[in-house]
Amino acid sequence: MKIVIFQKGFNYSQDGPGNRLVYHMQGCNMRCPWCANPEGMAASGGTACDAEALLEEIQRSRSMFFEGGGVTFTGGEPTMQFEALGFLLRALKGQGIDTAIETNGTYPRLPELFDCIDHLIVDFKQPFAQRHRAITGVDSSNLLSNLRRAAQEHPDVLVRIPFVNGYNASREDMERFARVLSEFGGVPVELLRYHEYGRAKWDRMGLTYPVENGFVSEEQVSGFLSILHAHGVRTVRT
Amino acid sequence: MFKEYQPGQITRMAKALFREERETGRLDGWFYAREAAMEDVSPDDLPSEPRACAELARMIEALPISLSENAVFAGTQRDAFARTYALINPAFKVETFSGYCDPTGVFDDIVPNEEIPQQRIDALRKKTAESRYVRELMQVYADFGNYTDEVVFFVEQVTGHVIPDFRFALRHGLQALIDRAEADAARETDALRKGNLQSMAGAMRCAVRLAERYQALARDQLAKASDERRPQLERIIRTLERVPLDGARDLYEAIQSFMLLWQVMCLEQAPNPFALSVGNADRIFEPYRAMTDMSREDAAELFCCLLVFYNVGDRSWAISQNLLIGGRDLSGADLTNETSYALLDAYFEMGLPQPILSVKLHRSTPDALYRAMGRFFFTPGMLTPSLFNDDAIFEVLAANHVEAQDLPDYAVAGCQEPLVMGKDNGNTTNSWLNMPKVLELVLNGGKSMITGKPLVSLELPEDPAELLRNLRPLFYKALAKVAGAMEAAANGATQAVSNLRVPFLSAFMGGLDTGYDMRDTQHQGTKYNGSGCLIHGLSVIADSFIAVDHLLKERPEDCGRLLAGLKDDFAGDPELRDYLKSCPKFGNNIPEVDREAAEIAGRVSDLVASLRNNWGNPFRPDWSSPSTHLLYGYWVGALPDGRKSREMLGYGVDPLFGDAQQGLGFRTLSAFALPYRKFAGGYASHFGIDPKYFNGGTLEEKGMQMKRRVIVPLFFNPENDRLSPFYLYMNVTTPETLRKVLENPKKYAPSGVYIMRIHGTFVNFLDLSPAIQQDIIKRLDMESTRL
Repeated sequence: MKIVIFQKGFNYSQDGPGNRLVYHMQGCNMRCPWCANPEGMAASGGTACDAEALLEEIQRSRSMFFEGGGVTFTGGEPTMQFEALGFLLRALKGQGIDTAIETNGTYPRLPELFDCIDHLIVDFKQPFAQRHRAITGVDSSNLLSNLRRAAQEHPDVLVRIPFVNGYNASREDMERFARVLSEFGGVPVELLRYHEYGRAKWDRMGLTYPVENGFVSEEQVSGFLSILHAHGVRTVRT
Repeated sequence: MFKEYQPGQITRMAKALFREERETGRLDGWFYAREAAMEDVSPDDLPSEPRACAELARMIEALPISLSENAVFAGTQRDAFARTYALINPAFKVETFSGYCDPTGVFDDIVPNEEIPQQRIDALRKKTAESRYVRELMQVYADFGNYTDEVVFFVEQVTGHVIPDFRFALRHGLQALIDRAEADAARETDALRKGNLQSMAGAMRCAVRLAERYQALARDQLAKASDERRPQLERIIRTLERVPLDGARDLYEAIQSFMLLWQVMCLEQAPNPFALSVGNADRIFEPYRAMTDMSREDAAELFCCLLVFYNVGDRSWAISQNLLIGGRDLSGADLTNETSYALLDAYFEMGLPQPILSVKLHRSTPDALYRAMGRFFFTPGMLTPSLFNDDAIFEVLAANHVEAQDLPDYAVAGCQEPLVMGKDNGNTTNSWLNMPKVLELVLNGGKSMITGKPLVSLELPEDPAELLRNLRPLFYKALAKVAGAMEAAANGATQAVSNLRVPFLSAFMGGLDTGYDMRDTQHQGTKYNGSGCLIHGLSVIADSFIAVDHLLKERPEDCGRLLAGLKDDFAGDPELRDYLKSCPKFGNNIPEVDREAAEIAGRVSDLVASLRNNWGNPFRPDWSSPSTHLLYGYWVGALPDGRKSREMLGYGVDPLFGDAQQGLGFRTLSAFALPYRKFAGGYASHFGIDPKYFNGGTLEEKGMQMKRRVIVPLFFNPENDRLSPFYLYMNVTTPETLRKVLENPKKYAPSGVYIMRIHGTFVNFLDLSPAIQQDIIKRLDMESTRL
């Protein structure tokens, strides 16, 4: 079985606990304007690896999974390669290796993988359905139903909001985020402040970086946190 | 602490003394010392211990001495060093550097003036050139010039580079040692040993005489001293009346005694006593701190003065003198003590370019030590300690015949070479092997790709495909041939330097037990002995072998094209170079190439360890390249890894710059593959780490993050079932930061000092020659250390 990745490397406590080997899987169904990894959007590209070889590499890397670390699959959007992702996650669980995925949560069959994901990180980008579709190009209904199920069934869910001025940082957005998230019974939420690490990549790929003035102010962040807290939403920083 | 000093005054005086030192434009003491040493000796006199003792005595008598108003202790190293060391010499150029092979080259570094006119310089130079030592050494370079001109290998006469054991002298005084040496000499029937022991006793008396001279000077200063200074001078006089002749009774006396012993040791080897090491200073000085229960703060003030002592002249020319703290005993118990932390406090307070700080770690190192190190790693421009893994080094040394009782006493001399204090003459920088140059010669019929000169006669197949198919055996065969010549040359250099006996140092290196000088090549004066060989270019060779494998498999028709491309430095064939660059590279956790690197490291270590030095002991494989990855790379043509002609080699055992792009995790995993047990002479490895990866709220928390994210995974990884890496140094900064420092030093380094680590030492980044500054920036190589 083949799996296509466009980047790999370790990072510490950013996408799951401890030190983690992170695989960026090729292809994404969304087209977020602030995407930090635009090279991972297209279905084509990346490097096709044999899934068994990847498992062997992971085995070889076990000594670096310190402090509760393990393997994280992100993207692109990892569920775009659903079969291969499932194969790897199940194999890793069988070997006792800690697993995490970072997903946009829109793939309908995502819950099938819940039992082999130790840490489920779901990005939530816009709380208004129409705006979600307009910004990402994808409907949010599957995301919300998957999130609802995850909140009920999965023991370790983290919702991440990439917080971007002009896209999801208005007062209405904040209120709506808070109302929606308050229905997910205690699932922790993390704000990821807008950054421009991806801008240079867009330039290198000959693409126009679409975001103008996406940075959020301290006031916006503290205001949003207050609103979330007022709605009983627990926030975390990783 | 002392009634003579206000709180904080000693530190202030130490800082003022350092400022004075930085304003020293000339270092003439070594010239006076050598002149005095040689005035009564005809160059053809036979070398002997008594002669060396007499030379030292004349130096001590003739040397002009001084005592600054800011001196808390008497003593200086200023008169033992010349303004020579290349890396901090602004005139240094990669293109013209030829090692330190001309022992009279130092006379070019002294500018004539009224007191030392050119005629006087020339006279001493001539006398020096006629000495047996210089004549023998120059003959070695003449005999092996074909190898050394383009650095197939290099050899040098090793001075310094050991760790004297002053502990007995500090505790019981020199008189006890002198009495013992004289009594042993009286009983000794062997004439050589008898003379040696008498000379060692005489050399130790030189330190007592130096103390007397400083006493007299301080007494002279009393008359004109201010009311504040007078009691300070009186303390110096009282102390010098006691030490180093008698044992020290408190930390002040111990430091004073230590400084004078060190000063004489360095004078004995003027003008280049590089890389002598203190050893575990915390263990040496803690008993004296404890005698009066001196507080950490007070002890730190005194250590500020000790640290200034290690800075010589305007650029801290006494480079590569190492001081260690921390570590464990045989049972694994931690040996960190209050003095360890006082020394760290002094280092941080002073922020000096020397002496080098190294910290010994082990599995049970207390978190307090990691927390205390945070301020060094995360304060821009502050020195950073190099780190040693005791758990692994104990195994390496034990595998190389160091007795268990001696293991906790290992320290490092020079950059990172582990040696046992007071017992080990490792002759550490004796030889330097340039593997990539050997590979170049194999690929080019034994001729240099740089100059076209035939350098080594090799039997090689003419058919390119056959050559490449047999590249490994051909390389190893050529390397063995070169190593044989290197062995002879290195031993020749060691023989030459044996003409310069060191009775004073030998007395603290086991000479009083054996009766022999540590440089005597006929008799082994130290308990342990070897000769170092610094091996260059591990990653370049591994990457080259793998690239050739891929080419043979994937484009076998291009064998001739590869050889042509190398000669042409890929100028007409960028596509081929791109292909070679895309082949797997060491440092990315790719088994194929990591295994290759391990195989090379193992085989070449074995080859080096099979060489024998003048004493019949093995050479010690040392995978270090103290900036010579840059200098030696300059003499190496293009190679199959895609590296272009004259580009730098990989540093130490690190991947080649730019070739490990998968971050620190993969790089660490590749590092696990290497056979550290065979690295008896040491090795070098550097991580350039971006400070943004550490988000702790305090410097102490960041120190703990450094422990958890970098140090423990590398050194103490429970999942690593092989012997762990045992050495690392770090620079926690980015290339952008350093460029800013260079562009605007007044803003980013207002004190004029911005410390960086290069190889095993640290240096003032602003003092470095431009080529080395740029090398450091490149070596940060952030892609290889992304967390």
